[in-house]
Amino acid sequence: LPASLGRGCLGRWLLATRGWALLGAGTGSCSCLRWRHQPPLLLRAARQSIGTQAGGLKAAKPGGNSKDVSVQRALNEETLVSAAQKVKEAGRDFTYFIVVLVGIGVTGGLFYVIFKELFSSSSPNKIYGDALEKCRSHPEVIGVFGDSIKGYGEATRRGRRQHVSHIEYVKDGLKHMRLRFYIEGAESGKQGTVHVEVKENLETGRFEVRYIFVDVETYPRRTIVIEDNR
Amino acid sequence: MEEYAREPCPWRIVDDCGGAFTMGAIGGGIFQAIKGFRNSPVGVNHRLRGSLTAIKTRAPQLGGSFAVWGGLFSMIDCSMVRMRGKEDPWNSITSGALTGAILAARNGPVAMVGSAAMGGILLALIEGAGILLTRFASTQFPNGKE
Repeated sequence: LPASLGRGCLGRWLLATRGWALLGAGTGSCSCLRWRHQPPLLLRAARQSIGTQAGGLKAAKPGGNSKDVSVQRALNEETLVSAAQKVKEAGRDFTYFIVVLVGIGVTGGLFYVIFKELFSSSSPNKIYGDALEKCRSHPEVIGVFGDSIKGYGEATRRGRRQHVSHIEYVKDGLKHMRLRFYIEGAESGKQGTVHVEVKENLETGRFEVRYIFVDVETYPRRTIVIEDNR
Repeated sequence: MEEYAREPCPWRIVDDCGGAFTMGAIGGGIFQAIKGFRNSPVGVNHRLRGSLTAIKTRAPQLGGSFAVWGGLFSMIDCSMVRMRGKEDPWNSITSGALTGAILAARNGPVAMVGSAAMGGILLALIEGAGILLTRFASTQFPNGKE
């Protein structure tokens, strides 16, 4: 009996020294010496002190009950969220939606522009490519410029020369386009300017070449006519 | 104008590489300054020192990655121009895709394909924006730039 008394007192004292300022611990420590006379009260107080301690040693089963209670209380509180908060949330969602739409619109527009430029047969880039191929296979041009001919357009500020200068106009109800680009031979640095004009063919819907000629920058100036369908 | 009379291409690589490094370093510097400021202990001295350390450590790294991307892209672009003999938007798109693929080469073929797609799409968007701007600018001056 004295041994169990000592062990019980030691247990209560350990609970108290952990800084648990609880009624159960307080009554446990001060009633340690009187436990023999009031065992049920002590045991009940001890169980209460352990049960209501959230992060204590025995937080498993008794603590689980308190956690269930707290979760249910949180759910009830969520359904009472105020109308003002709902409006704010909806406003934020709407703003995000608008931003996403604007982004998709801009990206789609850029894609459309680049597809039209690269794949449509009525884009200046396509016409420039076809005219360059015709220049490359023309014997007179090869004779002047050599075998490998480079083609380029107007120089932009960064030095890239991708932009081909062109004008579109309508004459007699048909669309015409005039292009101008430059070619250069590999050896001897000869430079030339190529002028192309195309006319829209209403039946096929594509552009037909009206004329292509090359101005060679030699002295005296030479003009090589590659195609003339006027 | 002398700068348009000479061939842009080999010198454009150095140009692009340096420009990309500057962009990355300045952007990274600003970003890392704010980040280092916020992730420091309370007190202006601590925060300033923290942001300075972050800039010194991370901004050159970002600048370096940007420079690698820009330099590689320009190199591939100039090589394609030389090979094809004509200057096209196709060159830029293919260069972007190849750059993305090469820079993801360590992560295996699937990652290379994904990175190439991203690089190609990014460059296509940039080219589209460039074309729009040039067309828009040229319509503003009907007698001038044609």
